[in-house]
Amino acid sequence: MWLPFRYAVRNLGRDPARLALAVLGSALVVLLVMAADALDRGVRRTLRATGRPDNVILLGAGSEESVQRSEISPRAAAIAEAGIPGILDVGGLKAVAPEIHYMAPLEVGGRAGFDAYLRGGTPAALLVYPNVALIEGRFPRPGEVMVGRFAWRRLGVRPEELRPGAVVRLDDVPLRVVGCFAAPGTVLESEIWADLNDLRTIARRETLSCVVLRLRPGADPADAELFAHQRLDLELVALPEPVYYAKLARFYAPIRGMIWLTALLIAAGAVFGGLNTLYAAFAGRVREVGTLQTLGFPPPAIVVSFVQESLLASLAGTILAAVFAVIAFEHLTVEVGGGVFAMTAGPGTVLAGLIAGAALGLIGSLPPAVRCLTPPLPEALRTG
Amino acid sequence: MTLDSFIRCRGLTREYRRGPEAIRPIDQLDLDVPAGEFLALMGPSGSGKSTLLHLLAGVDRPTAGRVEIGGVAVNELSRHRLAAWRARNVGFIFQLYHLVPSLTAFENVELPLLLAPLSRRERRARVEAALEAVGLSDRMRHFPRELSGGQEQRVAIARAIVHDPPLLLADEPTGDLDRRSATAILDLLRSLGRRGRTIVLVTHDPRAAEVADRVLHLDKGRLLEAPA
Repeated sequence: MWLPFRYAVRNLGRDPARLALAVLGSALVVLLVMAADALDRGVRRTLRATGRPDNVILLGAGSEESVQRSEISPRAAAIAEAGIPGILDVGGLKAVAPEIHYMAPLEVGGRAGFDAYLRGGTPAALLVYPNVALIEGRFPRPGEVMVGRFAWRRLGVRPEELRPGAVVRLDDVPLRVVGCFAAPGTVLESEIWADLNDLRTIARRETLSCVVLRLRPGADPADAELFAHQRLDLELVALPEPVYYAKLARFYAPIRGMIWLTALLIAAGAVFGGLNTLYAAFAGRVREVGTLQTLGFPPPAIVVSFVQESLLASLAGTILAAVFAVIAFEHLTVEVGGGVFAMTAGPGTVLAGLIAGAALGLIGSLPPAVRCLTPPLPEALRTG
Repeated sequence: MTLDSFIRCRGLTREYRRGPEAIRPIDQLDLDVPAGEFLALMGPSGSGKSTLLHLLAGVDRPTAGRVEIGGVAVNELSRHRLAAWRARNVGFIFQLYHLVPSLTAFENVELPLLLAPLSRRERRARVEAALEAVGLSDRMRHFPRELSGGQEQRVAIARAIVHDPPLLLADEPTGDLDRRSATAILDLLRSLGRRGRTIVLVTHDPRAAEVADRVLHLDKGRLLEAPA
């Protein structure tokens, strides 16, 4: 009772312009959905990867969700180093990194007003973030900074404007770029790191934002939590890094929701556009549909064939989009909510694209196909 | 003749409403056609010829009355059963051929066979035989746009006979053809009629009606001559 598949395939070729429009239109929508998915995955993966399970972050009590708002005593680092058992020791140096996190407008290439995320620290930072690798230059001393490899993208400047040798200005203080680092898959790559005392002076603050500790393998993070509870005078809270970044991920949830909502709204608009095109295309086949019914083909056979035709076009667009996504998303990073994230396309992204493509083909073709079957047969057969 | 009629219509009426006005292209029509007869229905435009053909094919439903074909009350079948009945029992030839432009001549003729439980080999044999019967064995792979009007109509006839239906309905099959092609089509219909098929031909061309065993005239939805 079904129409041959070649009928659907050949019908695609009836109007090459419409076919091109359908394929490109669905490719764009599918690409958008895949981009939303890849970005969503990128944000979640980056935040997951940034939090190391053997790191504990000491924050000011009440500032568990924002390290920038956190203020803790500058003595906290030394007291924690002495008071928390299980801190990693590397060649006599304890993996305890006091930090100041500071967001401020930076002057780059003589142009001011680039919002930068700065982290002031000591070389001990390299002990607590073993995934940070200098790819050029060295760790900054006073009057210097080193930049994450994607900091230029976050600032919206040219990469060469943040290469070692360049000078940026923070609050009129010149800072020479002396290094560039990578920390694959983490939010650190969009930051600018400065000397702790420099940032303390520039930010005019006495306090630290946080202290990050790295524990020895097998050490219990609960010891750090116990320390924070016991030292009420320091007003600290100790959070394993994955817990802190999980809280941070909640900050990104509405942004990720907006990205999906935008993608879905555009996809819905595309469905209406596709409906319009197919109404016109199928309307020209009312007589043919009447003929097929006269021959004895039941309406479901005709609807299935029309849906097949539409699905073929939208799936061709999906393949196009998937190929483009795999190539283009590979090295693409995007700034979202103050962080820079690498697009992460995986099998789930392709699946999301496939679902979007199939939904476009199905939802876009069903109403026009059904409408094509609406006219009474004698009327359909008389249609010109 | 009434008892062994292949087509039997009684009080057949088709009424449309256009606002307050009622239009009856077929009005209380009685008709009997014995099996194997080639009947021509003639009449001016708007006399109800095509409507009657649609009612006989089960393409349209009567407002009142009864249509029996081969003992089956066609007007009582559900939409689904009617489609299945049509697929087995009716071959329809249209004035404008109504071939599917994206399918070749072979594929167009094969369409009715897709509704029957036949193997691909059986379908192929039947399609080739039907196209040979209409003299188009050498045009099987051609698309409709690559055929002349006469050839297209011959493909349409092959499509109408390929599943060997007992009833062949032709709606002005020569209306869009030049004289030479029209003569070829009429010869073809005549030869099909001789092979025992029941054929109802609707035409306003007296030359076309000459090939039929019997001619009836329709006017304003009624037969002008008493049913034979």
